[in-house]
Amino acid sequence: MPFEFSEENRREFEKLIPRYPVKEAVMLPTLHLAQRQAGYISPEVMEYVAGLLEVPVMKVKDVLTFYPMFFEEPVGKYVIRVCHTLPCALADCKLVLEHIKQKLNTDVAAETDLAKGTTPDGKFTLLKAECLASCDVAPVMMVNDDLYKNLTPQKVDEILDSLA
Amino acid sequence: MPFIKLNDLEVEVPDGINVIEAARLHGIEVPYYCYHPGLSRPANCRMCLVEPHVFFPPAGAIVPDRQLATGCTTVLRTAPPDRKLDGKYDFIVRTDSPRVKKAREDILEFLLVHHPLDCSVCDQAGECDLQDFSFNHGRGTSRYVEVKNVPPKKDLGPDVLLYSTRCIVCTRCIRFCHEVSGTGELGLIHRGSHDEIDIPRAHDGTPLQLLDNKLAGNVVDICPVGALISKDFLFKSRPWFMKTVNSICPGCSVGCNITLDFKEDGVYRLKPRFHADINQHWMCDDGRLGYHYVNSEDRLQIPMKRVDGELVPTSWADALNLIVEKFSGVDAESKVVVGSAQGTNEENYVLQKLGREVLKTDRFGLFGREPGEEHKFPQFAIEADKNPNTRGARDMLGLGNGSVLEDEALWEGLSNAEAVYLVNGAPERPLDETSQKALESVDFLVVQDIFESDVAKLADVVLPGVTFAEKDGTFTNSSGWVQRIHKSVDPPGEARTDWEIIQQVAKRLGGDIDYHFAGEIAMDIAENVPGYQDATHQKIGDSGVKLQDDN
Repeated sequence: MPFEFSEENRREFEKLIPRYPVKEAVMLPTLHLAQRQAGYISPEVMEYVAGLLEVPVMKVKDVLTFYPMFFEEPVGKYVIRVCHTLPCALADCKLVLEHIKQKLNTDVAAETDLAKGTTPDGKFTLLKAECLASCDVAPVMMVNDDLYKNLTPQKVDEILDSLA
Repeated sequence: MPFIKLNDLEVEVPDGINVIEAARLHGIEVPYYCYHPGLSRPANCRMCLVEPHVFFPPAGAIVPDRQLATGCTTVLRTAPPDRKLDGKYDFIVRTDSPRVKKAREDILEFLLVHHPLDCSVCDQAGECDLQDFSFNHGRGTSRYVEVKNVPPKKDLGPDVLLYSTRCIVCTRCIRFCHEVSGTGELGLIHRGSHDEIDIPRAHDGTPLQLLDNKLAGNVVDICPVGALISKDFLFKSRPWFMKTVNSICPGCSVGCNITLDFKEDGVYRLKPRFHADINQHWMCDDGRLGYHYVNSEDRLQIPMKRVDGELVPTSWADALNLIVEKFSGVDAESKVVVGSAQGTNEENYVLQKLGREVLKTDRFGLFGREPGEEHKFPQFAIEADKNPNTRGARDMLGLGNGSVLEDEALWEGLSNAEAVYLVNGAPERPLDETSQKALESVDFLVVQDIFESDVAKLADVVLPGVTFAEKDGTFTNSSGWVQRIHKSVDPPGEARTDWEIIQQVAKRLGGDIDYHFAGEIAMDIAENVPGYQDATHQKIGDSGVKLQDDN
């Protein structure tokens, strides 16, 4: 399926270009825009972005696989990232993670196998994350762009139940 | 020129040179992986660390430890008079200090963390920088006890395989594809110790683009380990069982300098050899993979003559006698001698001697492979003329009156010829209708060739000659460089070196041509052909000689 920016995203992209010294440097924001629109970066999106930025497709693939924020396969409507770096681990993030696994009846996704951590109804994808820079309020998780702090199993229930 | 102290040597080195090259000039090895003289320098492998002494603190002053620096990016220049070190040096550097040695051991231990011990089946073994530098600079043992990463083996393109496990991620191949070929097919996927070289692929592994440019084979050459492998050479031979000669690629008129690896049973591979003014460090895949015809089972091995419309095998003596008999009865104007742009200067020179001195004709033609495609890359070009010696053959054949018939003029010239001596030697040379008709109209056609080609099929006598791999001589490329090819394997069957065949014909026709080796002919060329004054084999050596009075 060919991909193309929506009119709004196209305008957004045009605004980004003059902010950077060379077109190639607009790679990250362009990929974010594209992922927001398409849900994940398919080969078609990769080729579209490469065309926009006038770089080889491999440059896009290179950046895309470097950053765990980009997905190369479909993910759930809500992407849950549970921090498992040291302070969160000390604050028992394992308990939180196990609780979510049980509640959603799913495994934790691997970076190269997101389907493994995605619920069959396509609502949630569960990922482990490296430090989310909120160690003072550990354990923490992000659901899409929102950070949730001082998690307990009970709090997780409330958060997940509130998501439509 | 900067005056430097290099270990215990006091030496002058060219301005702007880096420490690796400066050390190399003075016989000191600085090991490196990511650095390549033909590419940009990211200094990512850290193997070439050296210890520069950039200042001398006053006695007793407490200063931080001097940093080790990468030899590839440490460039040597003349320092201003007030900044000389020790009052006289522009730079002081040690490549052999205990800190440098320790750093090398540590870097190598890291590079080998995920590297498999499959040298016994690795194509690169014996010519591997990882092996050699481990031997010269390594620790010898590893302290790593964890599980090794085992990334998959990947097919990158028509001739290139990637054994990811062996890769040390120096990124030479990636830089080559960006800087030299300009095609950008290669990149790194994932992060950190999971980094892998790859082509762009969909998530399921389907390639979106293959490593399929005409320079792709060079990434195999510049890979310092056995990660990038040529499918053409895979498992064919252990490198140490092959012999190597320097030669020139016969694939087009660029004249890339190459090495030719061979064993008794044939040619195994061609690799580029550095020439600053011609091909730098590179060659194209057409040339690299174009040698297979040399090893072909279908090579001409014995002379043939036409009997009742069929070509049948015969002896050299019989074939040569037949030529003498037929050529003797024809007047000079009806004889045409056609040289080959695939042939060396030496054989074309002997051929023109045969024509002018023995057959008394001044009608010369030039034959060879048809023009092909031209390709341009940011740092390389492939020329349309697919012959290695068009320029040299013209210089030799046109020696008397300067006119050499080519293409249409040649076919026209042949239409009223009675006896023609034609040298082909092209691996493939189809004939179109015009050329076919022109050659058919010749009463007596002698063809010296390496295959039973379209041309040879029309001949009355066929003489088996040899390929570039089986003879000594010189080619003149399109930019006027005269360069040397060397004999590697023996000719198949009774095939003979081309100039020897021509000389035999001349002798039997009463000519006074008596050379003993190709270098002797080159000395005559130097004496008689304008511009070739310096083109003796001795002066040409391995780096070639540029034609004089050539701009």
